[in-house]
Amino acid sequence: MISRVAETRDRQAYAALFKHFAPRVKAYLRRGGMDAGEAEELTQEVMLNIWRKAGYFDAARGGAATWVFAIVRNARIDHARRRRDARLTGQPPPEEADLAPSAESIALTTEREAHLRCALNSLGPEQKQIVQLSFFSDTPHTAIANALNLPLGTVKSRVRLAMAKLRVLLEEMP
Amino acid sequence: MISHHPSPETLLAHATGALAAGHAVVVAAHLQGCAQCEAAQTRMESLGGALLEEFAPEPLADEAFAQVLARLDDPAPAPTASLRQARLALPSGVSLPAVLRGAEIGRWLWIGLGLRYSRVRLPWAPEQNVMLLKVAGGRKVLHHSHGGLELTQVIWGGFHDITGQYGPGDIGEADETTEHQPVADPEGCICLASLEGGLRLPWFTRLFGG
Repeated sequence: MISRVAETRDRQAYAALFKHFAPRVKAYLRRGGMDAGEAEELTQEVMLNIWRKAGYFDAARGGAATWVFAIVRNARIDHARRRRDARLTGQPPPEEADLAPSAESIALTTEREAHLRCALNSLGPEQKQIVQLSFFSDTPHTAIANALNLPLGTVKSRVRLAMAKLRVLLEEMP
Repeated sequence: MISHHPSPETLLAHATGALAAGHAVVVAAHLQGCAQCEAAQTRMESLGGALLEEFAPEPLADEAFAQVLARLDDPAPAPTASLRQARLALPSGVSLPAVLRGAEIGRWLWIGLGLRYSRVRLPWAPEQNVMLLKVAGGRKVLHHSHGGLELTQVIWGGFHDITGQYGPGDIGEADETTEHQPVADPEGCICLASLEGGLRLPWFTRLFGG
């Protein structure tokens, strides 16, 4: 879908991407503590970036959601900086992706990501919550301490454990 | 052969966007030369993507799609104005990490015996304390500790301390709990470093220049 947007500037494909991702992007930004109006505005920016940067999408590196995640993450960082200083420019874009990854490398990536989703869903509820808060909270360690009622000093090791557990789960998969 | 990588915490913070911009540049320089960490980073971004997919969608305003459609043909924001990048004298065959393409790079300044410093200014985060350092070989640093996270990516040459030998592509990570006595290799060392806090020199060089 993103490749179609990149290659033929296909607006129908873009509409489908928008429908799927925009509400999830907004949910991500809200989760990070942004108010509804600001999240709405930044979601529109992110969706515009998806159109503009579609040429950088590399299907051999990750699926659409992986790429969108990285775009929202970067937009959120730039947004926080510009709120402090409106004159700042955004980060420069990465190098252009190789637009012709092999079918084999895409298939491997798809399989790798399916394993990862599987591993994520095999985590216990507490460890999954730790992973979620690590990714989407503005102040992950404080958020984890509050959510799980842990002393701040033990959060670091809990995060490390959760990430290690994920790696083990991944390695156990066929 | 790269033997020193960022800690899992630092990689996670980089992947989730929680790492300060200066540190992020040094980690990005490491990732460009380290397939293992690059793969770990991609894995974490995939994890972010999987978590993103799981969110309960939050509906946008009815007119949101039409508003974005109307802007699709707007010109993208202009690229940053020309950057001041000094042509640093580097050993032959050595080039600066690609991640510094968008940064301003100052001339080598002599700041102490056998120590040169070049300020790296990130236009998107100018307050960050990032620098290139060029250290002459063989000097020893006295025992000390420091405050905040410090990252040091070796670009050329190397150094060693109690935690091992650091060569090109290796990243050193230190914080207030770390105590080092690093010694530059005989040929010297060029590093990209990021520090928290005000302008000061990192553990790696503080006493070279002192």
